[in-house]
Amino acid sequence: MAMTILLGSLFALLLLGVPVAFALLASSILTFIALDFHLIVVFQRMASGMSVFTLMAIPFFVFAGDLMYRSGIADRLVRVAEGFFGFGRGGLGRVNIGASMLFGAVSGSAIASASAMGSALTPLMREKGYDGDYAVNVTVTAAIVGLLIPPSHNMIIYAASAGKGVSVGELFLAGIVPGILTGALLMVVAWLVAIKRDYPSGKFPGWKNLLGSFIWAIPGLMTAIIIMGGILSGIFTATESSAIAVVYTILIGLFVYRTLGWSRLFESAKESVKITAMVLLIIGAATSFGYALAILEAPTKLATLITTITDNPILILLIINVILLFLGTFMDMSPLIVITTPIFLPVAVQAGIDPVHFGIIMMLNLGIGLVTPPVGAVLFVGSAVGKVPIEQTVKTIAPFYAALVVALLIISFVPSLSLTLPSLIK
Amino acid sequence: MNLKTVNRVSKALSNVFIVFGAIGLLAMTVIVSWQVFGRYVLKESPDWSEQTALILMIWYVLFAAAAGVREGFHIRIEALEKAVPKNVAFVMRLLSNIIVCLCGLALMIWGTQLVIGTWSHLVPTLGIPRGAVYLALPIGGTLIVLFSIERLINDLISRKNIGAGNN
Repeated sequence: MAMTILLGSLFALLLLGVPVAFALLASSILTFIALDFHLIVVFQRMASGMSVFTLMAIPFFVFAGDLMYRSGIADRLVRVAEGFFGFGRGGLGRVNIGASMLFGAVSGSAIASASAMGSALTPLMREKGYDGDYAVNVTVTAAIVGLLIPPSHNMIIYAASAGKGVSVGELFLAGIVPGILTGALLMVVAWLVAIKRDYPSGKFPGWKNLLGSFIWAIPGLMTAIIIMGGILSGIFTATESSAIAVVYTILIGLFVYRTLGWSRLFESAKESVKITAMVLLIIGAATSFGYALAILEAPTKLATLITTITDNPILILLIINVILLFLGTFMDMSPLIVITTPIFLPVAVQAGIDPVHFGIIMMLNLGIGLVTPPVGAVLFVGSAVGKVPIEQTVKTIAPFYAALVVALLIISFVPSLSLTLPSLIK
Repeated sequence: MNLKTVNRVSKALSNVFIVFGAIGLLAMTVIVSWQVFGRYVLKESPDWSEQTALILMIWYVLFAAAAGVREGFHIRIEALEKAVPKNVAFVMRLLSNIIVCLCGLALMIWGTQLVIGTWSHLVPTLGIPRGAVYLALPIGGTLIVLFSIERLINDLISRKNIGAGNN
């Protein structure tokens, strides 16, 4: 009964158009009333869910990503990607994906990636004869690759939800190969669609230009080395690395590239605060919601249900993937990590799946949810920046979804893709 | 006080909250970087830095989240609202606003109880009451109530005006 209230009211409120954070909070409150529990617990959970040190990486990575976009670091990465991937039929599609991967390596936010690449590349692609919907399709799906390529603030939320035993450093390393694989698959699809639509061919800019744009991008690319090097060597924690990334980006924006003024810096801080407030309120509300689920013993019930259906690890992973993909279409990524990690991680671990590997699966799986309607933050941002209506974007996005799902299946069933790199440093 | 003044004041308030948030975010950046700097350069890591940065974040998040209710930047599903006739969509928006308002009210009431209940707990390294940190919840809740009521009234009035225009 209480379970029906919890899930039923959540769905009803979401459909009604109540903001996700408030829908989560309201359904938790209703459930606590039905259970005759004291409501103070809802807010105590919410407060403690937000008071987690590692979550400070969210505002920092969002801020750093936004700064990179505003200070033109993103544009310089595009230049590098142009040199590497721009030649041949439909070159700009691959440039977009390559640049998103580079951007993913310096920033931890898929939304920043979609707005940076969208504003840098959609106008250019349109000018060269590419369709707007294609440009947005490529931009938003490529932004998902950045979730796998470290750093990634969602991996930090996962590490915090998974509890002890999952280190952010290992997760970061584990994402590299799956990220490259997903990017490569997207490039293949982008190329095939470009042939079908007869998009123009790009030219190789020559080694000298390539070298020039690469050198010009080095200060920006250094961010990746500072973050990864700092975390892996133990010089600083993941949270500290995200703050250092902000400081470093501000410094090169102000003094090296000189593209960042004080007013732009402040604009960027304001924008990042809005995103942070939205995400953290959702995480707080999701913590209460997850607690209500735990009281109702949903995790154990679901775990028994899955294990009675099958004890085959492959099937278990498939079932979890299907459930997560379904949930991902209408829920945002961060609350789903907070709510579903305690539910599915024990099941996965019992089936012999490594928690780090499971985290990578979760990133890509829930990442796909970010580009699917009705709720898809990255899809929304990409469509808005690219000035293409969401309905039109979605009409032609299927081949790109297919690439992401194929990547998800490969990453799910070939654990060594994720686990080899972290095992090297242990 | 007429509605225009109310709207102006509330717009200014929500701007102030976002600016407050931006300053908070910058301060947080300085504090956490200072912690790293302190550890390696001064060979002494400040013990107050992490807690202070976290408290800053909780406060500005709740203020900015309240401003978000006014500015409408919280993520939500708009698919159904767009698919139904205008009258139905209007009722949906009213209901949605009322639910947000009630959530704010709940934050106010039980947030205050939480503050009272945790006032005797001290935050490690800072020595201030945990309840003082959580004070952000009832304050944020109060602001959410005020902003959602403003939206509610604005929606109702613009609806009435449209109705009058049609006659």
